[in-house]
Amino acid sequence: MIRMPFKTLRLMMYVFIGGYCVFILTPLSWMVFTAFKKRSEIFANPSGLPSELYFGNFERVFSSGIGTYFLNSLITSVFSVTGIVAISTLAAYALARIPFKGRMWVYMLIVASYAVPLHAVLVPMFQLLDGFGLLNTLAGLILPYIAFGIPFTVILLYAFFLEFPKDLEEAAKLDGCSQLRTVFSIVLPLSKPALLSAAIFQVVFVWNEFLIALLILTSKGVKTLPLGLTSFQGQYSSDWGAIMAAVLLSALPIVALYLAMQKHFVRSLTGMGK
Amino acid sequence: MTVLLEQESAAHRATPSSIFGTSTIFGWIMVLPALSLFALFILVPFIQTLIYSLYKFGLTSPTKQFVGFSHYIEIVQDDVFWIAFENNIIIAITGIILQIGVGLLLAAILDRGIKRGKSVISAIIFMPIVISTIAIGLLWRLVFDPNTGMIEELFFNMGWSTPMRGWLGDPDIALYAIIFVGFWQYTGFMMIILLAAMQGIPRELYEAAKLDGAGPILSFFNVTLPELRNVLIVCVLITVISAFKVFDLVYVLTSGGPGNSTQVMGSYIVQNAFTIGRMGYANAVSVVLLVIALGLGLVQLHTSRRDK
Repeated sequence: MIRMPFKTLRLMMYVFIGGYCVFILTPLSWMVFTAFKKRSEIFANPSGLPSELYFGNFERVFSSGIGTYFLNSLITSVFSVTGIVAISTLAAYALARIPFKGRMWVYMLIVASYAVPLHAVLVPMFQLLDGFGLLNTLAGLILPYIAFGIPFTVILLYAFFLEFPKDLEEAAKLDGCSQLRTVFSIVLPLSKPALLSAAIFQVVFVWNEFLIALLILTSKGVKTLPLGLTSFQGQYSSDWGAIMAAVLLSALPIVALYLAMQKHFVRSLTGMGK
Repeated sequence: MTVLLEQESAAHRATPSSIFGTSTIFGWIMVLPALSLFALFILVPFIQTLIYSLYKFGLTSPTKQFVGFSHYIEIVQDDVFWIAFENNIIIAITGIILQIGVGLLLAAILDRGIKRGKSVISAIIFMPIVISTIAIGLLWRLVFDPNTGMIEELFFNMGWSTPMRGWLGDPDIALYAIIFVGFWQYTGFMMIILLAAMQGIPRELYEAAKLDGAGPILSFFNVTLPELRNVLIVCVLITVISAFKVFDLVYVLTSGGPGNSTQVMGSYIVQNAFTIGRMGYANAVSVVLLVIALGLGLVQLHTSRRDK
């Protein structure tokens, strides 16, 4: 086996991982630089720093309606994630704590559905939403997002509720708390970190979802950000300054949320690997 | 994923304390909202996909004509389907090598190799994952752009030649350009999962290996890798399943082109259903994808059960 002084090895590891960080950050910084460059400068000097901060790209993007896309994404995310977490919490708690008949069947069904890819139900889902008259509405987006967010969230919260100390609930019961009150005043407040992890994971999913949005939303007023980005691309073709300004604006909120809530987010992801 | 089975068997062993008594109605009321949405948007469409793959119908012509298994026979003879299928397989295999291989290396370095800057480094490497694939795809279209792209500039400065039709315009190269972007965006995901698993390895094992005279590289192969076996299997399955689900990146980078060289099953389903308007045929391709996905899901269940 290779033997080398640990110092040399450690140095090599710093160089490798440092190089990898540069590999990740370089395209991201190009995005930021390009967003602040004039068109002529993008051609003359693609990868350098902008010679002056130019805000014209952002002005163009705002005047073609990124604000609407932004608002649509925000509304969709808030309603979808609230729905996912509320509905999944109820289901996960019942599955983990209430010994009702058929419980295992419900759980197995939810676990199995987690393996069903969205593409495989696309055509009937489109027809269903069409039948409800929900094409080109945000509700037509929010309902499937909730449905597809439920399996993963139930699985995550089910694992959490199984480990939740029973003594607390029993103590509450002895104190005369009703079933519902125990859930709302004891269990839920203590489950905040788990609920937050689940919510953040779904915010990232909903904020970035593209396929359902592509099929359901065709009129401009209801488009969400990822869809809006592709229409900017069609509209501006090679106006990379405007496109990168839009990309930057769409990524900023979610990156900020990620940086603020990194621990919660990583926790929900590592649950998948356990 | 194996956590599910663990929990499930735990639930079998110790039935949840019946502090509320058996309250079947209460239980069903609580799972009802989840079940009804789930039935409406996943279960029923799932069954409809199966049934309507046997019918011929279009987006605008709602009348359905029964055609039996002819769509499935057509799939077997459809060259574009096989290109798409092969591309999914290539994406899966390269994903296993690149994303898991490099993810493992990065995780090992973060776990035991270096001491300073760990949280900043993992935050950076993970960052592309939270950004939408559409945004990432547009960014890389700029990077690959033959006129203003940075790769073009880099290759020019180095004196290297670049493909005539551009990175995304050459049918032999475009798929690998897509794979490269996927590698750039998702390797951090594997890194985080593997890092979490590595941090769960008891430190005594490393101490023992050290007493036996093993250096850091040897103990990676003798301690870390064997301990990670189950997690690595899960990583492989996650990578393969997501390789078969890929759509956004292909859509934004090449839309399946040039020709059909970067078509994948996901984009082929969408193209058939919503561009060409052959919804029955799209359903049949969906069923093939469904069988693959459920098959992989079963493998996942089986491997995690065997480990118990």
